[in-house]
Amino acid sequence: MRPASTSAEHSRDLALAARAHGVIGLLSSYRTEVAIALAIIVLEAAVGMLVPAALSWGNLANIAQAAASLVIMAFGVLLVVITGGIDLSVGSVFSLTGMVTGLAMESGQGAVTSTAAGLCVGLAFGAINGFLVTFVGLAPFVVTLITYAVADSLAFIVTGGHSLPISDTNYYLLNGGNILPFVPNFILYCLVLLVVIEFVLRRVVAGRWIYAVGSSSGAARLLGIPVHGVRFSVYVVSGMLASFASILSVSYISNAEGTAGSAMMLQAIAAVVIGGASLFGGTGSAVGALLGALMITVIQNGVNLIGINSFWQGSVTGIVILIAVLVDRVSKVRR
Amino acid sequence: MSERSADGTFLLQGQGITKSFGPTKVLRGIDFAVASGEIHALLGGNGAGKSTLLKIVSGVTAKDGGTLLYKGRDIDGHEAREARTRGIAVVHQELAVLPHLTAAENIDLPYHRRGLSLFSQSAARGTALKALSLIDHAFAQRIAGVRVGELTLHEQQLVEIARALNSGAQLLLLDEPTANLTATETERLFDVLRRLTRENGISVVFVSHRMREIRQIANVCTIIRDGVTAMDRQPLDTITDADIVDKMGQTSAISAATDNAAERAADRPVSARRGRLEIKGLGIETVVEGGSILGLAGAPAGPQALIQTLIGASRAAPFVIVLDSQERAYRSPRQAARAKVGFVSGDRAAKGILVSLPIIDNMLASRRVAFSQVFVPRSEVAEASNLLAALRIKAASLWDLPATLSGGTQQKLLIARWLNLKPVMLVLEEPTRGVDIATKREIYALIRRMSAAGTTVVWWSTEQTELIDLCDTVLAFDPDGRPTGILRHRQITEESLAAATGMAA
Repeated sequence: MRPASTSAEHSRDLALAARAHGVIGLLSSYRTEVAIALAIIVLEAAVGMLVPAALSWGNLANIAQAAASLVIMAFGVLLVVITGGIDLSVGSVFSLTGMVTGLAMESGQGAVTSTAAGLCVGLAFGAINGFLVTFVGLAPFVVTLITYAVADSLAFIVTGGHSLPISDTNYYLLNGGNILPFVPNFILYCLVLLVVIEFVLRRVVAGRWIYAVGSSSGAARLLGIPVHGVRFSVYVVSGMLASFASILSVSYISNAEGTAGSAMMLQAIAAVVIGGASLFGGTGSAVGALLGALMITVIQNGVNLIGINSFWQGSVTGIVILIAVLVDRVSKVRR
Repeated sequence: MSERSADGTFLLQGQGITKSFGPTKVLRGIDFAVASGEIHALLGGNGAGKSTLLKIVSGVTAKDGGTLLYKGRDIDGHEAREARTRGIAVVHQELAVLPHLTAAENIDLPYHRRGLSLFSQSAARGTALKALSLIDHAFAQRIAGVRVGELTLHEQQLVEIARALNSGAQLLLLDEPTANLTATETERLFDVLRRLTRENGISVVFVSHRMREIRQIANVCTIIRDGVTAMDRQPLDTITDADIVDKMGQTSAISAATDNAAERAADRPVSARRGRLEIKGLGIETVVEGGSILGLAGAPAGPQALIQTLIGASRAAPFVIVLDSQERAYRSPRQAARAKVGFVSGDRAAKGILVSLPIIDNMLASRRVAFSQVFVPRSEVAEASNLLAALRIKAASLWDLPATLSGGTQQKLLIARWLNLKPVMLVLEEPTRGVDIATKREIYALIRRMSAAGTTVVWWSTEQTELIDLCDTVLAFDPDGRPTGILRHRQITEESLAAATGMAA
């Protein structure tokens, strides 16, 4: 036991105290996120130098629109990843939700009923994932690989592989309308979810439980934290957010397709990882997940605008993930 | 014997408690009662069922049969969360800490029962500072905001104890709380416990394998053996250590303590062959001959830094190691192992036992590295069986998982890894932590046997009696990790150790 704290320890105390207060304090507790935000700005500026149109309002709005669904899906995956799990089913739940919503509309149901039907897909698959992981004790990777495959095939079976155009012209407003003046709804949803999830993760007991379960589920159990409830809940929320993301996308493009979510599962996981979460659990933030999703979208958009063969998109994204993870690792080792 | 509280009942009273895990009967009818305001030692060998009993009381596991009354009410079938509302707090033997959360959160979070309520970091910090300050104020200031994963094992142990002290519980269950603490910290903990029992009338159930500690802190003891109560609520001042050991069924163990350093020095061959070890650095120079036992004493900082250097786990080395007149700076524990430098980690669960591999692979892990084996020969099975027999380990099969063995037996497995390999040097980190008296004695015998066969043993221990009984030379460190002195043979006494390590004897 140390008789008195040394001056080095004292300055560390002060640094910790400062961290809790003020804008600088806030920025320093989000240092990973600030770094990603800067990287996104640099990337977009670089694209803008090559293709000036990239920085037009029209293109920036495109990026935001394209990112919205991925951001919302990534939020769900983030919660699962913080508990130390993984959700591979989000992409095909996304596809299936679109088909179910489209079918409901085609059969004459109203927008509200159809949306609810779509959300039920996420609820059901989330509950199945949560049940198998939590109460049967199967590995999350295996469970969600199974539900991924099932939802993926169902997405084709329900319409025999056809895509479904949405005829209700007002359905577009769900995504692109303005509940608030000047703020398109899809941005509003992302921001509201961002604030709610970040608040829950940092300032609500249940949010700290999510980290606790990912940090050490055995210790969490001994401490009386409801590990089962937390695990089950994050899979349900993940499924529902994937469905919600899908409904926004369907509303935007007025068309539901069986392959709509195929590429998104890996992108959502990548977004969460770029955002600083560890796949071993215990770390990650909603701000990071949002920025990660935004970065992936900016890269895709940039590759398209510059005119690089779109087959290169995956490679560029891969390299960016590698850089993000390496930077994160180096900064942690140094600390 | 009855020291009942005012209304004539015990705070906690269990009768005929039984519990089985699969076909194994762990508890076969335990009687256990705790009165208000007492410090109650719960004693028993490894595998006697102490931890299981505590888990039943704290609600982590459910009992199969019997009655368990807390304040006169039956508390069957509840969960740990509800235990806390009942006022029972636990310090688990296996540390229950959340490495990604701060010390403050680790202390405060478990006491929030409603998931949808707000969690205030500053309130958590306040609570944690208060609880940690019971043990040490400066320490509290330093670690409250630090993530627990960045703390040392013993700091984590203090966090865990602070969590229990913070609970405001009426019954504290402490399962080997001192296993990772220094003597000073143990003293402070005992002061706090005495104060809490005296002033607030809380009761403490205390599990330890250290007889001195038990004598220091406890009033009453209950001994359990093979899942039944062997001695029920006996005041400690009415029984001798020998009685206790006898009741625990470990009579043969006590004679170990009679051995002393002088006798050992005599029966060891003087002509040391290989394994002459020199340690230089931080203003100290230690030389021990091959085949001797070098003890490391003191708080973890110093001994651990030296051990990391010895086995090549750390490159930032303040020490220069010379073994057999050659400077050794291993780049990895693998390189050290291939040079026949063995290591047994003190963190048995995380860095010792390979939990998902069967006993045979656990026993032969070091052999396969040290001899750079490519194939797994048939002869290994015979080798492993011989080792099991030599160690007197009762295992149903070599292909069982190590989790089927008690903690003490697992520790023997770890040492067995090096037993037949004739290592030049064997580095041990607290090999007897959390191990009962009989197993401790077997471990001492193993270490002596290896040292007699010419292996130089480097042994960090926080139990002074061990250092006094077994070591030829002791290198002591102060709490900041600086070496403070070298003690040889008869100089190794409780007083000299206390002076050199800056810790109370």
